[in-house]
Formats: sequence, C-alpha cells, structure tokens
Amino acid sequence: MAEKDTQQAAIVPSVNSSEHVVAPDVAVSFLKSTMPFRELDDDALRDLAQHCKIDFYPKGTRLLTFNESEITHLYLIQRGGVRAFITDDDGDIVLKDYRGVGSNIGALGIIRETRANLNIETIEDTFCYLIPRDVFKELVRNDSAISHYYLKSFSDNVVATAYTELRKNKLTRRSTDELLLFSTKAGELSKPLFSVSATTSIQESGAIMARQGIGSLLVYVDEDPGSMIGIITDTDFRSKVIAEGRDIREPVSSIMSSPLKSVPSEMLCFDVLLKMMTTSIHHLGVEQGGRVTGVITTHDIMVQQGNSPYYLFKEIASQNEFEGLYLLSEKVSGLVRNIINEGGKSGDIARMIALINERILAQILVLIHRQLGPAPVKYSWLMFGSEGRNEQTFKTDQDNGIVYEEPGSEQREEVEKYFRVFGEQATYHLLKCGYPSCRDNVMASNPKWCQSISSWKDQYSWWIEKADQQEQLGASIFFDFRHGHGTEQLAVDLRDHVITSCRGDNTIIKNLGRSFLSHQAPLSFFQKFIVEQNGDHRDKLDIKLRGLAPFVDFARILSLKYGIRQTNTLTRLKRLSAKKKVDREFYLEMLDAYELQLQLRVIHQLSQIEEAKEPDDYIYPEELSDLEKRMLKDGFGVIAKMQSLMRTELRGS
Amino acid sequence: MVKISDKIPWLRGRDQIIVANNRHFARFDQNRKFGDCSFVVFDTELTGLNPKKDEIISIGAVRIRDLQINLSETFHCYIRPKNRQHTQATLIHRITPQQLEAAPPLEDVLPMFLNFIEIDLLVGHCVQIDTSFLDKATRLLFKGTVANPSFDTMRMAQIYKRKVLGDFDSAQPSGDGRYNLQKLSAELNLPFFEAHDALEDALQTAYLFIFLVKKLQSVGVITLRDLLTAGKEIDWAARKADGV
Repeated sequence: MAEKDTQQAAIVPSVNSSEHVVAPDVAVSFLKSTMPFRELDDDALRDLAQHCKIDFYPKGTRLLTFNESEITHLYLIQRGGVRAFITDDDGDIVLKDYRGVGSNIGALGIIRETRANLNIETIEDTFCYLIPRDVFKELVRNDSAISHYYLKSFSDNVVATAYTELRKNKLTRRSTDELLLFSTKAGELSKPLFSVSATTSIQESGAIMARQGIGSLLVYVDEDPGSMIGIITDTDFRSKVIAEGRDIREPVSSIMSSPLKSVPSEMLCFDVLLKMMTTSIHHLGVEQGGRVTGVITTHDIMVQQGNSPYYLFKEIASQNEFEGLYLLSEKVSGLVRNIINEGGKSGDIARMIALINERILAQILVLIHRQLGPAPVKYSWLMFGSEGRNEQTFKTDQDNGIVYEEPGSEQREEVEKYFRVFGEQATYHLLKCGYPSCRDNVMASNPKWCQSISSWKDQYSWWIEKADQQEQLGASIFFDFRHGHGTEQLAVDLRDHVITSCRGDNTIIKNLGRSFLSHQAPLSFFQKFIVEQNGDHRDKLDIKLRGLAPFVDFARILSLKYGIRQTNTLTRLKRLSAKKKVDREFYLEMLDAYELQLQLRVIHQLSQIEEAKEPDDYIYPEELSDLEKRMLKDGFGVIAKMQSLMRTELRGS
Repeated sequence: MVKISDKIPWLRGRDQIIVANNRHFARFDQNRKFGDCSFVVFDTELTGLNPKKDEIISIGAVRIRDLQINLSETFHCYIRPKNRQHTQATLIHRITPQQLEAAPPLEDVLPMFLNFIEIDLLVGHCVQIDTSFLDKATRLLFKGTVANPSFDTMRMAQIYKRKVLGDFDSAQPSGDGRYNLQKLSAELNLPFFEAHDALEDALQTAYLFIFLVKKLQSVGVITLRDLLTAGKEIDWAARKADGV
C-alpha cells in the first residue's frame, strides 16, 4: 500500500498540470444540485467531489440499523430512494419517512457523534455519493451556510417526512391560519403548576386561585407532595359548591376530579386536542419524567390558534338552529387544509373529519328530536360505505340507515311513521350541510333502509345466503356498517348476527373473492400506470377504483371470513395480521401502500377544492414526483400479492 | 551516461514494468471474489477504429475499491497524436484541436497510465477495442503487453439480462445497439449524464459495473471464475438455440 502511494505521488507532478487528477465535472454538478452543498463555491465543490465515493445498493439493502450502525459516511442519494423508520417494542413501525434523489442520510448521527438514529433501507435500486465523516464534519464546522442548514433542519423536527415534500409542492401555505398543532408540543404550552394539599379547605383553594388569577388547581396528598391526585377547576366551584350548597370549610378533596388525567409533555397538541375532544376533559396535567409538571387546557390551545378544530367542534355542539349548522359545516375543508399544512397524515385527517361529521350528525338528530319528540323505541343511526369504515375524506355521499328496536305489534305503525319522518328530515338536513344524497338511495329516508332489528337481520341473512353474485356485490357497502348515533347496542347485535352467519365457508365470501380477483392490476406489464383511455378523465388514474378499492375489498372479504368486527380497512388489516391470517411483513407492506394512496388522494382533492373544483378521484400520474410515482408503483405491486393470497384463501375455503 | 536504448525505444527489451506485471499475473487466482479485487474502469477516445492507423487521443479512468467508485483516484489525459492530420479531425467533437496540440505524446502518458492501473483488473465497455489499442501502444513502447485481466460490461450486461432478468432474447448483443452504454444506462435506470470526455464515459461505465456486479451476486456470481462460467453457460444456450 505504502509502495503504491509513493508510486502515485511520483507520477502526479509529471502530469500536465491542467490535466492532473480531478473529479469529473458531472460529479461536481451533481453535488451542486443538492441541498445544502449547492451553497458551496466551485472550488469547494470540486474539492468535495474528489473526496467522494459512489456506491450502489440494490433494493432492500439495509444501510443503517438503529442504535447499532456506526456512521462512517454521509449518504447522498443520486438515484433511487430509501425508507427511514424506527420500530417500537412490538415491532410496529412508528415513524416513517421516505427520502429520494438529492436527500441525504446520516447527517444527524455524524454531527451528534452517535450511532444511527433510524433504520435505513433502500426501497429502490439506489446509488449514493458517500462523503467521508471527517470531510463532512469539517464542512459543517467551517461553512456557515452548511451548518446553518443542518441546525435549522434539526432544531424542531429530527425527521422531515416525505409528506413535507408532498405538501410543499401541492398546497400553498396560508401563513395567516397556521395551526401549529403538529409542531407544538404539550410541554411548550403548559402552564406552571399551582397545587394545594388535599386537606386545604374549599374556601382557601378558591382564594389561592383568585389571587393567582388561575382557573385550576392541582391537589396532592401530604404524604407525597410531588404526585398529583386530582384537579379542581372554576366549573367545580359552580357545579359542586354553589349548586349543591356545599360547606366551603370542607376539604378541597371533596370537590376535586380524581384521578388527574395527564399527557406526556412530548405529545403533539393535535393529539392533546383529540384527547380533550373525545373525553370532554378540558384540563389535563402535563407529565415529564413521570411527574406532573404543569397543566394544559383547551383554552391554552385555542389561544394558540383562533380557528381551531376544537373551536369548530364546540360551536357545532352548541348550535340550536339548523341554519347555523349549515354554515359551520362549510368550515370543514378549511380545517382539513390546516391539518395537512401542519403535517397531518391521512389517518389524522380521517379521524378528525369523522369526529366532526359525527358531531354534526348528532347535533342534527338532537335538533330533530326537539321538534318530533323522543324516539318511541331505541334506535341506532347506521353509517355505511366509506363513512362506515371511518375513511371519508371530504364530504362523501350519504350512505345511511336506521335500525330500531323491535316494536310491539300495537306500536308498530306509530314507530314506523316516526322513523320515516325522522329519517326524511335527517337526510334533508345532512344534504343542506353539504353531504350529497346517495345515488342508489341508500339513506335513512328510504323505508327499505329504515327497519327494525329483525328485518335488518333477515336482510343480511338473505344477502349472505340467498342473493346472487351481483346482488352480493351491490351489498358490499352494507357490510361496512358502523353505529353513528343513538343506542350502540343495536348495531352491536346486528354485527353479531352478520359474524355468526358469515363465518367460514360461504357463497358470499367466494363470490366477493372472485370479483376481487377480477380487478385489473393498476400497472401494465411494462410498469406503466393504467390510465383511463377515453372520456373526461383520459390519461388519468382512478386512484379510488384502481388503487384503494382493492385494499378495502381485500380487508372486507377476509374480515367476513374470519369474524372480524371492525370496519376500518387499516384496523381490519391489523386484526388479520394479529390473527396471523396475513403475515406481518406483508401487513406492513399493505399499510404503507394504502396510506400513501390515501394521502395522495387527500392532497389531490384538497387542491381541487382550493381551485373551486368538485373533488374527484382522478389523478394525473405524470404530475407526481418521481418518489411518489415509485411509491405508488410499489403499492400497486402489493395488489398483485393480495390477489394471489386471495386465490389461496378461496381454494382453502 | 545516456544509453542508446533510451534514445531509440525499439532497441530496448521488454520493459521492467511489463516484466513485473506479467510475472504477477502468471499466478493469478480466478477464485478471488469481486468484492476483494480492485478495478480500474477506463475508456479511450480514438481517432477511428482501425488499430493499424488510428490513435488514442485520450484516456479516462476511475478506480473501484470495495466495489465503490473512488472519485479521489481518477486518471484523465489528452494525448497528442503522431499524425497531425488527426488534430484537424473535427470528427471527435468533444476534443478541440487546441487541446490535442497542447497535450503530451503517448510516450509520456502511457507510463503514467500503466502506473495508475498497476495490478488492478481492467473494466471497460466493449473493452476489447480499448485493450487492442493499449496493447499495440505498449508493444511499441515497452516490447510487451500488460496481462491485467479485463472485464467487458457489455458482456456482463448480457449475462445479467439472461441470468437475473431471464431475458432469453439477448444473445446477440450488438445488433440493434441495445447494449450501447447510454441505452443500457437508461434502461437499467442508472445515474445518467451527458458524458463530455473519456473520464465521464469511464464513470458511466463504472456505475454500470458496480450495478452489474452486485446484481449478479444475487444469482451466485461471487468470484471472477463464476462470471466466466456464467458467460460460457449463456453462450452454450445461445448456440443450442441456434441449432448449432
């Protein structure tokens, strides 16, 4: 080796000085096309290029392993793409990120001198430039543009997601209504802690709150002043002291809410807000290192942003007029845009939309009851199709129905009449709130879908046992029903019925399975996207029909076969994996592919709404970025695998 | 003291560099793994394809160690041709006559290049053409040729297509230009660029080489001998298909 070096040293001076060993221009121009190296001047770039190596990693190569790999180089992707992820104790992937051409890997580890903080795996055949660790460190140390770039990218978010790239390209950010829900953590908004001993009197506690100008007070027991056992708020004084005429000399523990619900200080405000909305608890403790160190309230989060989901949520619940509801429901798409801008993924968005839709539905039904009087028997408002699966993005067509308790024969006529009027009014108001009528008239206003529990059970039995393939196919959306409002037990009974009648070997499973197999794969033999050949959507890809529907169908069919109660596609797939009906690797593949497609659709529809177009499911594959195309193609490859699995399932049953 | 053989090259015996080189490769072990070898990927630019009258006017090369392309070890030289007519030739659009006029002659460049390749294995796209010009030049200057085994990425691409992709249509490489470096790079989705000189052509070939080596590893081509065997297999299959 040493001998070789001297030999080379000997030849270099004898080479024409303009032709001495240099990196090819193409290497320099590649570096120049990447962030942050484009900040360097030409000499520095040329010098950097000379220190680089280039390596090739076939698809599926593990580049780095979390907490194990020593990072010896910065990897700069020239061709291909990688997936970054970490897994939790159950082996579930909890954080994902895709990086494509021009992105780099390993910077954080090199700068912080730690081992890899993520697992990195190539999802494509990938070529990388490798910049040696010391060369990179030197650059960060000496070049302010480079160090600034990395400082900025690590300061708030260690991992920027591929979704950042998606959002940046497709949606114009409106700085006036930023939500900050996805970047602010509970700990950053929490108020310092005021606490009193459980034995303090109600009066003295009230005095402390008044003196400090605070709306809540945490309560501890004297034996352990560090851990909080409960909380009192302004509301408690009103409802438990004044309204109940309680003696203000009693200990504060008699009126506190206990135990104290708390959230970790690392939790994103989005999740804190969801927790508050679902539990109706407005004061939460904020925990750090297992101890409550502060309090966060809905107010704190609302002050942070004027036009928050919570605000909308609350306003819906307090509306006494239908007209008011119509107006509020128009705000939903604006809200969704905020969530996406702040980094929300399709899963977050669907959860939030579902919550708000349910809130609107509940309020409509409450207002109708005010006019018509309470229902004569218990009922459950059922939602079918995408709403039943908790997968609607923007306002989708109404697919709903009512199941009510079996009325006595003397009551039957009155009950039928009540629910007919009730169903008609409800669907009318939903329409006015922007939920279009169902083309096939699957709505609670249709007497066929407003039935007693025994009629519904007969209906499902008929679909499962007697209907022909075409009728069974048409009934698919009914198998995705979910309780929306009223008495949930009725929906539970109905699900029990479906599960017991459907399990195992059934014509419906065979027929739905066969139809699933006839789905055309969305990629042609040459790996091109199959697009519509003519009509208004020529050259576009119907992502719902070709991309999403196969996942939904696959999950539904196997859930019926294996007695899974859930309706949400992701949840169904998760249950199938838990029951070992699909293997875990494959489950994760399906998860990735399906989530990406959901996300692409949400973004597509949102940009249509911004351009004042009707949202649809047709996307132009040509407009997607390389990374998106590649990920979408991989996802479509998963569909072929699902079909072959289905073939095996059908043979086995 | 100037020896007469220093003045008149053809009076010399085989040059020391050739002797050492040949001695080294006399005991060459084909069972070495690709991952354990160093390679020099190179490309030459020629005034034409006829070894009798055409000349090398530039050499570009880049070294591969541990199957990584090493941008710190590159070689790039223009060469002033003997036949001045060639400097006028506008056929080679990437090189200006001025660049050639200013360049050193082959006698100066060749020793540097041989020092650069040393005992590494050679790689090129359609490498036989490059090595035939190289051999002619070394024979003239050093009375012998270097024995470094060479690997042809075109041939390897053919093997790759048959063994990895199962493409049985690819027995005849040259016919429709499908194995042209640019077309292959595009087809295999390699980093792709408009190459401006022999060095960049060598780099493009180097991308192709590490791609092919790593892909072929997945079908059990690990040692140099494995590749030779795989080559014979596809030739045999092709002959059989042709009814020979």
